[in-house]
Amino acid sequence: MAQTLSRSEALGILTKAPAEQVKNFANSLLDEIGDVYVEKNRTGLVMLPYTDSAQGTTFHLGEVLVAEAHIKGLGQEGYGMVVGRDVVQAMALAVIDLALALGLRTDTIAQLVSEQRQQQAADDEHLLKMVEATRVEMETF
Amino acid sequence: MAYVATKGGEKAIQESEKLYHQLKKPVTPEFVQEIMDTMPYLVDRVMGEGSLYAPDLAALAIAQSGGDLYEAVLLLRAYRSTQPRLAYAKPVTVDETLTLRRISAAFKDIPGGQILGPSLDYSHRILKLDVLDGPSPTDEEEDTAVEPAEKPAKPQYPLVADWLRQQGMMTAIDVPEEIDAADIPDVTRDPVMMPAPRAHRLQALARADTGGVLALGYASMRGYGFVHPTVNELRLAYAEVQVKHPVTGEYFSAGRVRVSQAEIVTKGKSTYKIGFTATMGWNEVKLIAGATLDMEMSQAEPHPALNEDFVLYHTEPIESSGFCIHFKLPHYVTFSSSMDNMRKVITVLYGAEAAGKDADEREEDAEKTATSEIVTKDTM
Repeated sequence: MAQTLSRSEALGILTKAPAEQVKNFANSLLDEIGDVYVEKNRTGLVMLPYTDSAQGTTFHLGEVLVAEAHIKGLGQEGYGMVVGRDVVQAMALAVIDLALALGLRTDTIAQLVSEQRQQQAADDEHLLKMVEATRVEMETF
Repeated sequence: MAYVATKGGEKAIQESEKLYHQLKKPVTPEFVQEIMDTMPYLVDRVMGEGSLYAPDLAALAIAQSGGDLYEAVLLLRAYRSTQPRLAYAKPVTVDETLTLRRISAAFKDIPGGQILGPSLDYSHRILKLDVLDGPSPTDEEEDTAVEPAEKPAKPQYPLVADWLRQQGMMTAIDVPEEIDAADIPDVTRDPVMMPAPRAHRLQALARADTGGVLALGYASMRGYGFVHPTVNELRLAYAEVQVKHPVTGEYFSAGRVRVSQAEIVTKGKSTYKIGFTATMGWNEVKLIAGATLDMEMSQAEPHPALNEDFVLYHTEPIESSGFCIHFKLPHYVTFSSSMDNMRKVITVLYGAEAAGKDADEREEDAEKTATSEIVTKDTM
């Protein structure tokens, strides 16, 4: 399972997981990773381009506030970025990403990602069932 | 003219700000959270015009400014200017978004169907006074809980415009060339020159003042323009913010944001023409008015109030509101100069003795003088 989990896949799920859960999990990894060098841990902006469906032009819709962390440890690099301004959450993501790069606790990480993926899929499904309830069944007179 | 250097008012300014805050409740984290939870459309409007997606900061800006939206947008833009730009996300295409609302006023049977999603469009506009008069009814009592369908809706839908293109009813668009996001024209970094690149126009509309866009769009709809808009498609959706991992080079989602877009169509000679606007957050009135303006601005000879530079310059919320409210700030020097000139004019027209008389008295004196001159002439 761990072999098929890419770092981007893990990050894509964990950015939408409850922040406290991700932070606690990352904290549990730090003992094994040891000291890390924090290259970046800050808030900033990501410009969001958007495609105009009328003429196909790509333009800037606006900027999104994000928090990012870039760390190094045991000869590898870890990175995290998340929408919002929670720099601790970004750091936690970077720690998990670093653990994946190092091959540490990959099974546990994969399990966390799998649980979160299921939870997010269930949340989306519930939302989309409510959305489906608003589908218009048109009748033609 | 003499310059009037003034000093003072510092204490008054400090107390004025304190009084402003004292006349409303203090801003607390709970209140900011309450705004985020209960007024998402207001938060969206501020984020869209502030050109910064940050719901907590937009809610804070609304709370801090006491609900003065221009002030809230200014706070958000000011904060934005303190932050470095870290990256460019992968461009969002609407057919890849998680769509919650997708309607068309042009076609009943659009591919994928019509999904109303969250909307008050068809509700009775009646104030619920009982909310003020007693304890709030529960969701069950009020029957507001959604009855979910058995199967979920599809998360993604094809474009209605593509369906029209397939039928030859609308001009096909070329597959857009791959462009480095950093090379996309950006109104926050480049001066807007007219005619503006389409990327500038759409970005300016995305961050434009909702009220300004509506006013000009409505002017077009009422007949000052050439466009009778029909909403081809309107969508509210969540988009993933896909950023590149600096080590692996792969894209991953840093989270979801609310986005919305609308297309309007109008009849051309042999095909339909299409106008477009998108914005961060969900803001339907801005989308429809903006898409109408997009089409107006593309006319060969639009109404002067609907041409590109008029629309883009006058719907910029911070520049327009800032320019308007700056008039209440001290203009003592310019006004003093104006007064000096006025006094000179009075002296030249009515003589030095007119100084100090009010305007009516001066006019009366002037009339008497004129009458006496006529009488004198007649008697001669």
